[in-house]
Amino acid sequence: MNGALVIARRELAGLFKAPFAWILLLVVLFLNGIIFRAVLVQSGGNVSTALDAVMAGRFFWFWLLLLPPLLAMRLIAEETRTGTLEYLLTAPVSDASVVVGKFVAGLGYLTVMWSSSLIYAVAMMRAGGHPDWSAVLGTFFGTVLVSAVFVALGLFMGTLTGTPLLAAFLGVAACVVWMLLPYFGSRLAELVVPLIADSGEAVQRIRAQVDALLANMDAVRHFQRSFQRGILDTSELVFFASWSAFFLFLATRSLEARRWRG
Amino acid sequence: MIEVAHLTRRFGGVAAVDDLSFSLERGEVVGFLGPNGAGKTTTMRILTGYLPATRASVLRVAGHDVLRESLAVRRRIGYLPESVPLYPELRVGEMLRFQGRLHGLDRAALKARVPAVLDRVGVLDRERQLVGKLSRGLRQRVGLAVALLPNPDVLILDEPTSGLDPLQRREVRALIKGLAHEHTVLLSSHILGEVESIAERVIIVHRGRKLADGTQAELIEGLAGSLAGPLAGRAHVRFEAVVGDAEAAAALMRTLDGVARVEVGAKVGIHHAFRVEGEGDLREDLGALALTRGWAVRELSHVKPSLEELFMRLVQGDEVVVSSAGGNVSSRTGAARAAAPPKNGPSDELLQLGGGPALARPSAAPGTAAGPAVGRVIYSLNPFDRGAQRDLSKPVQVDGPLPPPSGSEQVGGGA
Repeated sequence: MNGALVIARRELAGLFKAPFAWILLLVVLFLNGIIFRAVLVQSGGNVSTALDAVMAGRFFWFWLLLLPPLLAMRLIAEETRTGTLEYLLTAPVSDASVVVGKFVAGLGYLTVMWSSSLIYAVAMMRAGGHPDWSAVLGTFFGTVLVSAVFVALGLFMGTLTGTPLLAAFLGVAACVVWMLLPYFGSRLAELVVPLIADSGEAVQRIRAQVDALLANMDAVRHFQRSFQRGILDTSELVFFASWSAFFLFLATRSLEARRWRG
Repeated sequence: MIEVAHLTRRFGGVAAVDDLSFSLERGEVVGFLGPNGAGKTTTMRILTGYLPATRASVLRVAGHDVLRESLAVRRRIGYLPESVPLYPELRVGEMLRFQGRLHGLDRAALKARVPAVLDRVGVLDRERQLVGKLSRGLRQRVGLAVALLPNPDVLILDEPTSGLDPLQRREVRALIKGLAHEHTVLLSSHILGEVESIAERVIIVHRGRKLADGTQAELIEGLAGSLAGPLAGRAHVRFEAVVGDAEAAAALMRTLDGVARVEVGAKVGIHHAFRVEGEGDLREDLGALALTRGWAVRELSHVKPSLEELFMRLVQGDEVVVSSAGGNVSSRTGAARAAAPPKNGPSDELLQLGGGPALARPSAAPGTAAGPAVGRVIYSLNPFDRGAQRDLSKPVQVDGPLPPPSGSEQVGGGA
C-alpha cells in the first residue's frame, strides 16, 4: 500500500496545484458562509441550528451529492483522457493501490473542505456562543464518512468512461440513486410483496420487515441518528466504511476490466 | 530479456496481434517497424502489463512472467508510451521524484538519481519547469528521463520521435543510441530512417503478424536474393551523364569488369541515366570510364538497397516472410508477382526520373559539333554545371586534356 500513499500524495499535490481545487473550495466556502449567516440571523443567533444548516442541512446534502463526483471525475476519467492512466497502470503498483491512492486524495481534499465548517464553530465560540462541540465534531466526522462513500462511487463511475463530464454526471446520478435506495426499495416491495404474500396480514408483516431492512440502508437516517447528535456509533461507522470499500472494490475491478477492453 | 511466443491479442473479433513470436537478448536494440495499426503499440502495452494478452505460450520480460508477476516485470521496465503521459501540473523534478517513489526509491537514491537522469537526457536546467509548459521535444526528453529513472533492464519506447521536428528527432535518436549500451531497448516506429539509424535488428510487423526479423544487412540481403523485379533491393550504381548514344554507352559499360547488368533509363534534358549492377561498388570503374570517354557526369552514386524498399514491399505486398535465421526470404505468392515486370526494361525508378516533360533544348543537338577530339561540345541545362554562366544557345567548350578514346568509337561520337 506504499504505492497508494505515493499516488495519494501526488494526487493531492496535483489537486492543489491546479486552480480547479481552489475555485471549488472558494465557491463552497462562499456559499456556505452566506447560508450560515442567513440561518444564524433567521434563527435569532442559534449557533447549533446554523451549524447544522451548513454541516447537515439540505444545502449540505446538495454539496455532498455534487462535490465528490466532480472531484472524482478528475481523479480517473481525466487521467484516461490525458493518457496518464497508462503511465500509472504500467507503474509497479497494483490497480488497488491506484484506486485507493486516488480515493485517499479525494477524501483528503473534501476533508479540508468540510473542515471549514469547524472554523464557524470556533468563530462562534470566540464570539461568545456555545456550540455543541460533540455534535459539531461528530457531524464533521460523519460528513467525511459520507463523502468517502460518494468519492468511492464517483471513482467507480470514473472508471467506466474516459469522458470526465460524463463521469461526473454518472457520479451524481449514482450518488442520488444510492441515497434513494430505501425509497426505490420500498416502491419495489410495494409491487412485489402482494404477489408473494398469501394474506393481507402477511403483506403487512413482510412490508414491515422489508421497511426495517430498508431503514438500515438509509444513509441520511444513519447520519442523523448518530453523528449529527455527536454520537460515534461503530455500527454507523461500519455502514459507511463498508459501502466505501464495496465501491472501491468495484472501481478496482472495473479498472482491471478496462485493460481487457483495451 | 524479452521472450514472446505465439502472442495473440484480440479486440472483439479483430486480432491486433496475431501469433507474434520474438525474443530480445540482453543489451540488444531492436526496432519494431510497421505501419500505423500494425500492432506495435498493442504488443508493447502487453509487454508492459498494461493490456493482458488474449493468448501467449511464453510472455516473459527480464525473466518474469508478464501476467503472473506483473509487478516484478513493471519494476524492470522503463516504458515511454507514444503520448508521453506526464502530469502537466507537476514540475519536471517532481514528476521524476513521483516516478522514483512509485518504484520504491528512497530519498537518498532520488537525490542522486534525478539530476543524473536529467543530465543524461540533457534537461538538467529544466528541473524547476512545469511539465505542462514544456515543448514537445523537451517533453519527450523528460518522458525518457522518467522511463530511465529506475534504471530499468528493458526500455520500451513507443514512437519515441513522433511529433518532433527533424532536429529534435535527431537529438532524441542520438540519445536513444547512447542508451543502447546499458539497456535492452525495444522501440517502435513507422519511420524507417529512424529505425535504420538506431536499431541494428529490425522486426517488421504488419496486421499483427511478423513479416521479417533480422539485422538490417540480413534482411536486405535476404530480400535482394529472393526478389527479382524492378524495385528489388539490390545495390547498384546510379550514373547520369551526357553520353551521346545511350545504348552504345551502356554496351561499353557492360564490358567493364564486374558489371553484371546495365539498364538505360530515360533522358532528362541531355543527360542519360543508367543503372549499373554488378559486384561491389563500381563507382570508380564507371568514373574512370567517364573520364576516358569525356562524358560530362552529373551523378555517380552508389545506391544501397534500403530497408525502406524492403518495408514497402513487405507491407504493400503482404507476401514475403523473412525469417530471422540468416535472413532467408521465403516468398509465398510474392516471388511470382515481383518477377512479373519485364526484367531488362528500364526500372520504375529510372522511368520516374525521365518521366517529366522534356525540357526545351537548344537547337543544336548534343554532341553534333565535335567528334571524339579534344574540346568536345556539350550542352547542359543544369545551371550548376560549369557552363552555367554561358549563353545557353551556344555550345560550350570543355577544356582539359582528354585521353584518347578507347573501345568502340561510336560512343563518344554522338548521334
